[in-house]
Amino acid sequence: MTKSADTHCPYCALQCAMTLTSPAELTPASEPGSVPVPAESAARAAALLEAPLPEVLLEVSGRDFPTNRGGLCRKGWTSATLLNHPGRVTEPLLKGADGVHRPIGWNQALALVTTAVKDTQARYGKDAVGVFGGGGLTNEKAYMLGKFARLALGTSRIDYNGRFCMSSAAAAGMRAFGLDRGLPFPLADLDTASTILMLGSNVAETMPPFVQHLQGARDAGGLIVVDPRRSATAKFTADGGGLHLQPLPGTDLTLLLGLSHVIIHEGLADEDFIAARTTGYEALVRSVNSFWPERVQSLTGVPAELIRDTARRLADGAAKGGSYILTGRGVEQHVDGTDTATAAINLSLLLGLPGSRRSGYGTLTGQGNGQGGREHGQKADQLPGYRKITDPAARAHMAGVWGVPEGTIPGPGLPAVQLLKSLGQPDGVRCLFVHASNIAVASPDANAVIAGLRSLDFLVVCDFFMSETAAEADLVLPVLQWAEEEGTLTNLEGRVLRRRRALQPPAGARSELWIMARLAEALEAPSTYSEDPETVFEELRLASAGGHADYSGIDYAMLDRGEAAYWPYPVGSTGTPRLFLDTFAHAGGKAVMTPVTPRRRRTPEANPDPAAKTMTLITGRLLEHYQSGAQTRRVSELLASQPEAKLQIHPAAATSMGIAEGSFVSVANERGQVVCRAELSTAIRPDTVFLPFHFPELESANRLTEAATDPISGMPEFKFNKVWVRLAADQAPNQPQTSVLQTSEAS
Amino acid sequence: MSEQIVIVGFGPVAARLIDELLPAVRDGHVSLTVVGQEAEAAYNRVLVADLGVGRTTAEALALSDAAALTTDGVDVRLGVRVRRVDRARQQVILTDGTSAHYERLVIATGSRPVIPNLTGINPDPSSPVLPVGVTALRDLRDASVLRAAVDGGKRVVVLGGGVLGLETALAAAEEGATVTVVHNGPHPLGRNIDRGGGAVLAASLRRCGVRMASNARSTGVEHNAPDGGFSALLLNDGSAIDGDLLVLSCGVRPRTELAEGCGLSVGAGILVDHRLRAHHEPHIFAIGDCAEVRCPDPACGECRTAKGPSGLVGPGWRQAEWLAEYLTLLASGTQDDADALQELPQEQAGVIVLKARGMNMAVAGNNGAEPWDVETLTAGAVNGRPRLQIAQWADPEHGRYVKMTTRGGVLEGLVSVGMPRTAAELVGLFERGAELPADRSLLLRLDGPDQLAASGPADPAGTVCRCAGVSGTRIQGAVADGCSTVAEVSKATRAGTGCGGCHEDIKGLIEKHFQAAPAA
Repeated sequence: MTKSADTHCPYCALQCAMTLTSPAELTPASEPGSVPVPAESAARAAALLEAPLPEVLLEVSGRDFPTNRGGLCRKGWTSATLLNHPGRVTEPLLKGADGVHRPIGWNQALALVTTAVKDTQARYGKDAVGVFGGGGLTNEKAYMLGKFARLALGTSRIDYNGRFCMSSAAAAGMRAFGLDRGLPFPLADLDTASTILMLGSNVAETMPPFVQHLQGARDAGGLIVVDPRRSATAKFTADGGGLHLQPLPGTDLTLLLGLSHVIIHEGLADEDFIAARTTGYEALVRSVNSFWPERVQSLTGVPAELIRDTARRLADGAAKGGSYILTGRGVEQHVDGTDTATAAINLSLLLGLPGSRRSGYGTLTGQGNGQGGREHGQKADQLPGYRKITDPAARAHMAGVWGVPEGTIPGPGLPAVQLLKSLGQPDGVRCLFVHASNIAVASPDANAVIAGLRSLDFLVVCDFFMSETAAEADLVLPVLQWAEEEGTLTNLEGRVLRRRRALQPPAGARSELWIMARLAEALEAPSTYSEDPETVFEELRLASAGGHADYSGIDYAMLDRGEAAYWPYPVGSTGTPRLFLDTFAHAGGKAVMTPVTPRRRRTPEANPDPAAKTMTLITGRLLEHYQSGAQTRRVSELLASQPEAKLQIHPAAATSMGIAEGSFVSVANERGQVVCRAELSTAIRPDTVFLPFHFPELESANRLTEAATDPISGMPEFKFNKVWVRLAADQAPNQPQTSVLQTSEAS
Repeated sequence: MSEQIVIVGFGPVAARLIDELLPAVRDGHVSLTVVGQEAEAAYNRVLVADLGVGRTTAEALALSDAAALTTDGVDVRLGVRVRRVDRARQQVILTDGTSAHYERLVIATGSRPVIPNLTGINPDPSSPVLPVGVTALRDLRDASVLRAAVDGGKRVVVLGGGVLGLETALAAAEEGATVTVVHNGPHPLGRNIDRGGGAVLAASLRRCGVRMASNARSTGVEHNAPDGGFSALLLNDGSAIDGDLLVLSCGVRPRTELAEGCGLSVGAGILVDHRLRAHHEPHIFAIGDCAEVRCPDPACGECRTAKGPSGLVGPGWRQAEWLAEYLTLLASGTQDDADALQELPQEQAGVIVLKARGMNMAVAGNNGAEPWDVETLTAGAVNGRPRLQIAQWADPEHGRYVKMTTRGGVLEGLVSVGMPRTAAELVGLFERGAELPADRSLLLRLDGPDQLAASGPADPAGTVCRCAGVSGTRIQGAVADGCSTVAEVSKATRAGTGCGGCHEDIKGLIEKHFQAAPAA
């Protein structure tokens, strides 16, 4: 058994470097760092922690790396407690007629899946079987999932939860640069910047060690945060650190047009860059012309002076230390998310930031392998190497690598929201595979998604916990956790990293590669399905060769030597830490500025409840939790700190409705209802409320979000939904401890 | 079969209409002709003053590209006017002798500057011939006249205390010109602002270097410049204000003569119903500054309270977007499909936000009532309708003034001078008709320094390191156990191991411990 392994954190795209050590290897217990840290705070936390802690299988320590510089957040520090969590699924579980999941053997499980696939496809056709993947899968698994779906299942119906994260920024990057890599430069490049504009990204909560790279800009007074909330990141702009712009929710695009307007009209644009390296300038000028600062102020609520000041600081930074523009989900998770990211890119192009060594534009990828996960074929419209599935050359290339006739590769499928809407519908998906995704909590209009899951003929969920989605499954297949497997992930910079095994998995758990190999065999699929990650990576290299995301020059040995491998990395090259230095990826080499303008929005349904007030709901994350919370809600320290969803609401709004700190409130709209406690905070606008989306059932924020999607990217509307807020009718002093324990019980 | 649409006028509102109709043009549902009087395609008139002081370029003002539109199949005719509309034959006859057939005609001719009745200026309102050294500020030529004066360091006299006049004056003063604003009434923006706001505004303008001549009634212009041009503005008290350029900024008047010439009803503007259709003429529409929404139904409650054209571009753009959708539905479907489109909601009273770099001002709605003016406040407060309420803040010494006039918690009027964040917030609340917080002072504090403070005083039990979730108490414990550096504390407690933002706080706790130790 491995005693110590250098790997990376299981959670977000920052992929903090960490070392996992088994206790036998540790220095004596007097070393304070080795003691598990119990959380302080509420009594309920103490209650939770009274239970004896399980044996510690692995110790986590931060490892020096250019991205996290040894830092980890609470999620990373406590990640190892999940390895031997009592709620872990370690055997295949079949749901009986009574709704109870009971263990079965692997042979029976695989036979059941095989039969379900064959029966479904015989009755309803190939596309009646669907696959839903995740941005947490390693490159090897993401690649194999795409291949498995298209060749072994023969279905076009595959997409993944990255559609809910990165699709808008990815579409905008492709449109502008001809290529999408979250950060087209190493993260450490930010260190020397004098101005950093962060739009809709709360890194202080979502990826805390990232904040180290903002220090230079803060020292220069140039950190500019755009967020309707005074988020933890926005607070870093205090004391001369920079500016906080607080636009009305849903007006980010307009604000960006206003910034571009000032750049153009004050003569701050980089004319040489625009002439030499871009197209579309004249049309862009016309499109931003009608967004002068005072008009933008009326539309966004951001004072005209701050708009001018921001534009000037960006231009000043570009001329001096460097300026960066970074976008996050806050501006991208909208029905106009692609256009908003495009507006941010247009602004960066006006300033000549992309393709420079000390300035740039980037989007902050969210999920652990959110970058690699969108490159290797689990997207409905893509083949490995970030190739288009409709491109005949790409299809021919993949047919060659896979050794199949081109015609056997299905065409484009449905993007996530449409895929989920099709569950159980006529001509829709009737048998679904879910991997690394908790769609019952994380999808928009979650009530409708759960209804869809329940209408399926057969649902197979691969997970290591009984997530809310797994609980709906006919069959749950237990898989490996990060410390039990080998593989690669691609972090938010486009750097390929090694994940290494530190621990033997529980006896009954299997790698998804193994599962797919067995199923492919049973389904008599063409081509090969290795269960060895390195063999799969070797195949991925061939598959990606010549594509946008070309990994062909990367191998495990090189990564194990610690080489920094940024894609594209064709054979014979040394990789690409900085993209676009000489040319953009479009034919002709120029970046394309696409004019965008705000669209009118659908009028929401009228509030039927006279006692409730219509407010704008934004959703997001807390430091302590990750995505749907399927993992972090099972870490006692994290759950103790944030045990339940709380509605953040401004005291002025709360008082007028009789809502006090800790009151139970009802947040509802035509799609569903959330009941949770209120948390009063002046960090939010009085007309807006915030809910974290980490919690299930009655606290599930996504029961309120709309499954309307961006016409280009398929991104749903997570950040701008109308809700009706009121004091909950039943103010019974519900025992919080009870509800918390029930939540963890469900695991 | 594509529908023939002709647009008369090629200003910002027409440009928006064209942009929105383009998809239907490309699809072949609409065949579009645009007639523009100026030689240029549409440009952003709102920024003409900026151009006039050299702050932006004519290229950057462009809103449309005639060549690109032609490529898309639009028939663009520039530098020509419509002489008359032949409603019987559904065609327009142009000044160059050509004509164009229409199924739908959209009049978007905008407005023209009001030329005041002054001795020394030709009074013909439709084609004034302004003497040398006198200009309005409406088009690119006007901008170049102002530009020459500002660049030459000349003295500029602005006649009119409206928002355009003030913006021009401020911009010219900031660019180094000597500027005097001449207006009647005790303070500028007389029609929109209240006394307190007007006084603070005037003081702020003076601070920005603009000379203010208030309560002034002008009677004529003097032409004693060497080139025979403008030399002074004469006032009725016998005094004169010397200058090299007179900028007339006395408001605008809708251009309605085309409609009048073909027998359409005209009030302040061309009268249109809620679908922007001319009265009793289903083939003709009017939008923007030249149009006045007032339907033929005398019982229509909305129209009873409707105001005339606002002179602001926002409402025109909203009309253009709506009409494009309506016309597209008409062209691709039936009259019933189009009429199913929800009518454009009535415009709110216009919001005026001063476009200026050195100062901030926003005003909207009715601001006449004063806090102690019980009669005014209770007027109309019958049948359960709440009375008006006023909240006010005045700090003239620092150039700050806010007044919120509300009914039932919703703004009916607002004035904000010198408080940018408050102005932005109030304008948003006004436009959305949203309810104000009961504690109105919340809105005043948006510009206060307390908004920038990160957090309250340090609570020892509170979290110092958010990333790792470590309290001050735990860190103090670690220090008491012998940790004397941030690194040691980090190792013992994980505090400071995430973003590193709390290193200073940890250092503070260590120092506090060792300072306290000797005393103990």
